[in-house]
Amino acid sequence: MSVVILLAILLPMVVGMALLLVLAAKKEKDAQPTTEELKRLHITVAAVLVATAALGLAAAWLGSGDEGVTLFYLMKDIPVYFRIDELGKLYVTFISIVWVMVGMYSFVYMSHEGKEQRFFGYYLIVYGVLIALSFSGNIVTLYLFYELMTLATVPLVLHNGSREAIMAALKYLFYSMCGAYMGLFGIFFLYRYCDTLEFVPGGSLNMSLAQGHGTILLIAVFLMILGFGVKGGMLPMHAWLPTAHPVAPSPASAVLSGIIVKSGVLATIRVVFFMVGADFIRGTWVQTAWMTLTLITVFMGSLLAFREKVFKKRLAYSTVSQASYILFGLSVLQPQAMTGALLHTVFHAFIKTALFLTAGVFIFKCHKTRVEELPGIGRMMPKTLWCFTFASLALVGIPPASGFISKWYLAQGALQAKVGVYGWMGPVVLLASALLTAGYLLSVTTKGFFPGEAAQESYEDKEPSMGMLLPLIILAALTLLLGIFPNPLIGFAGRIASSVM
Amino acid sequence: MNAELMVLIILLPIIAGALVPVIPFKNRKQMLIFIESAVILNSVLVWSLLLNRPTESFVLFRFTGNLSVTFRLDGLGRVFAWIVSTLWPLATLYSFEYMKHEGHEKFFFMFYTVTYGVTLGIIFSGNLLSMYFFYEMLSLVTLPLVMHTLSREAILASRTYLYYSIGGAAFAFIGMIFILSYGVTLDFIPGGVLDPEAIGDKVNVLLIVYVLCFCGFSVKSAMFPFCAWLPKAGVAPTPVTALLHAVAVVKAGAFATMRVTYYSFGADFVRGTWAQDVILCLTIFTIVYGCSRAVKETHIKRRLAWSTVSNLSYILFGVALMTPLGLTGALSHMVFHAVMKICSFFCAGAVMYKTGRHYVHELNGLGRKMPRVFTIFTIAGLALMGVPGLCGFISKWNLVRAAVESETVLGYVGVAALLISALLTAIYMMSITMRAFFPGREFDDKTVEGIEDPNWMMLLPLFLFTAAIVIFGIHSEPVIAALSAVASVIG
Repeated sequence: MSVVILLAILLPMVVGMALLLVLAAKKEKDAQPTTEELKRLHITVAAVLVATAALGLAAAWLGSGDEGVTLFYLMKDIPVYFRIDELGKLYVTFISIVWVMVGMYSFVYMSHEGKEQRFFGYYLIVYGVLIALSFSGNIVTLYLFYELMTLATVPLVLHNGSREAIMAALKYLFYSMCGAYMGLFGIFFLYRYCDTLEFVPGGSLNMSLAQGHGTILLIAVFLMILGFGVKGGMLPMHAWLPTAHPVAPSPASAVLSGIIVKSGVLATIRVVFFMVGADFIRGTWVQTAWMTLTLITVFMGSLLAFREKVFKKRLAYSTVSQASYILFGLSVLQPQAMTGALLHTVFHAFIKTALFLTAGVFIFKCHKTRVEELPGIGRMMPKTLWCFTFASLALVGIPPASGFISKWYLAQGALQAKVGVYGWMGPVVLLASALLTAGYLLSVTTKGFFPGEAAQESYEDKEPSMGMLLPLIILAALTLLLGIFPNPLIGFAGRIASSVM
Repeated sequence: MNAELMVLIILLPIIAGALVPVIPFKNRKQMLIFIESAVILNSVLVWSLLLNRPTESFVLFRFTGNLSVTFRLDGLGRVFAWIVSTLWPLATLYSFEYMKHEGHEKFFFMFYTVTYGVTLGIIFSGNLLSMYFFYEMLSLVTLPLVMHTLSREAILASRTYLYYSIGGAAFAFIGMIFILSYGVTLDFIPGGVLDPEAIGDKVNVLLIVYVLCFCGFSVKSAMFPFCAWLPKAGVAPTPVTALLHAVAVVKAGAFATMRVTYYSFGADFVRGTWAQDVILCLTIFTIVYGCSRAVKETHIKRRLAWSTVSNLSYILFGVALMTPLGLTGALSHMVFHAVMKICSFFCAGAVMYKTGRHYVHELNGLGRKMPRVFTIFTIAGLALMGVPGLCGFISKWNLVRAAVESETVLGYVGVAALLISALLTAIYMMSITMRAFFPGREFDDKTVEGIEDPNWMMLLPLFLFTAAIVIFGIHSEPVIAALSAVASVIG
């Protein structure tokens, strides 16, 4: 099985790099590729995407459980080491679904952005890196791929090459680096005070060694939470999200929001629950500060989204808010809340991807980027807007759509946890934010279908082709189906949560 | 045999260098072959000596009683000797191509080759006096290299360089005098040579002297507040900036601080005193200061020079931790930084040679025309940032490990400083990469027409350095094991 893990990681990375090298070797770099060339590119990319997804899922689900494979030794006692565990399985599964769907969508969408080979080259590399990240067996491996992920996603952000995009990409790069280094600060201390750098459910902090060094360790852990929270869009380092998302091509913003943000969540889970242990920070100032930051982020993100008029930027702020739902669920350090957080990780991945893909359709078909241009859009592309509506309902948390389940668990967990005033403040903030979410998402739907005075005599049919519509429909259906049949997923997430606390 | 070999190794480049302007070469090629073969021959001799691992010391001559010029090769010297002897032939090869456009080649290669011998002299020095002697010589023979272009700027820079170096050496001299009076011997002995009885109640005086001496030697490795000369010296031709001002000269400074700290005063004497705190504070400040100046600087070579300032203080920080682990970290950064920085300087040099552009904002779009150079520059930049899988991460890891295990507040602050500096490194290196590769939509391809990668003489060293960066990054174990064996001697 170990070969399969490595294949799943290396195949997309190698093919992606090959695509980029072929491109670099070309004489005429900016020449438009012929239809024939494009077709070849699409077939290659599609084949690799499907093959990687198959390999990744096979590695995750067909193996006999705990299996590890060491790639090489970075230092004497620090291997680059992959291991399959429940959390990794969960991540690889939803990443693969989203990656294949968005890939399919991009075949059509990227035709108007150009430079497809470059885009798909990096797109494949990032896929390999993400699988490696999910299967990372120790914190240094995770850190390695975390950095690689940042570096490989930067070209996706600056794809269109405008000055604005390049500045946004730099902002994204430096924010991420800043976060990664804060994380690294903590890793140095964990190396000293943990028994092992491997991920052990419940943590491996050596209490006798750590005796007397509590303060510096808490500072280190807090910096890690903040640092990995940069990718998760947590206050005070959330600002890259609303800058990077609008300028990136829509498929790239979709995966940035749906997946890359979640990698910050993954790193946080690994640190808090698999290295330090929840008990170490329960009841300390770290937990209080963490909960406070996440709650502020939840509310502030929604508020900013509500006020924002650029559609993709609105969605980006929404991600800021929703990612902090997840982080809040983790910060109360309670199994049920963590179950909710894991569920929300998965649901939000599907939902936000679907929303960004819709935004992409609006741009691709009608060149509409601002919210006030959208009235009547439902008359032109009803199917697309229906998909958007289902995903929005799920995000708001209206039963039986999926978001309801995760929020239910989050609120329940917060109420049961012994976190004082945060126990009821959390659910209240979540609720208020849900109202705002309804305000900023469903208003698009209502205006889209019922433009009122802005209505035109007749609307052309602008529904996108099946290549774009199918991924959207699948994702929207998933957000609904997972809400109606949530039990297997709840059980799975619950097992992860109870194994670490 | 080994003793004579040591003297030969020091003298060969000095004599060969001195002969360069004298021998009537028929053409340029002949001169280059002469120089390269002398340098390679010398490196081969150094390697044979290194593999022999001689332990005896050899007294060249004796002034009086315990004042002598002595040569000896120990672990610390071996590390530095490996770095210098490997990089010199490659850098010489690179300068053959580069110096075409700088002129005055005979004089350049004369001093360049002589410097090789003098640097080896510092390495083989067995006592403080010999090291001091070669240290002063190093300042003098590299001076003409700095003022090579004879422009006003170059002359001013070389003057600054001279004042700083001589001033620093004077401080170091004070240290030597005190070691002479309060120590058993001037020889380098692991653990130090101070005589506790002679010191009596003058501990604080000696600590002051130690700080002075450390600062004196660290002038060459550009510790704040003695760092201004290094960026100014960036007017020198690139091979000089790359090899001397990123490796040989500046690391000779770091090497000398290691000698006085661990082999003369002794780490035990200084550990835990205010003197250690002062030095730690200075190095930590320099780490951040150098990087922030690098971010502000728009001249490529000066930017890299400020980066060197910061990175050298990584080494000094490791030295100042006064533990074997700290020394291991310092030594590993000495090795790895040498490779990374010479690599990035050579890339900068290749750009300047091919395009005549000196400023960061002129680099837009060059990555498409010089893909090899800029890919290598990016890898070197990532290594300097400390991305895992490249060698910079390994040395930082070792340094930080030492700092964390020191369990002192300054150690923790140092860790934070290293990471802040890593972030700043990301800013000043990656902004160059981004400009070069992603110039943006409005970019006009005509501005970079006709530019291409340099020829093999420049690319070969670059490829070898890149390979070293990656190989050390993913398979560092043998190197680190060897370095910690060297460092364990002083524990």
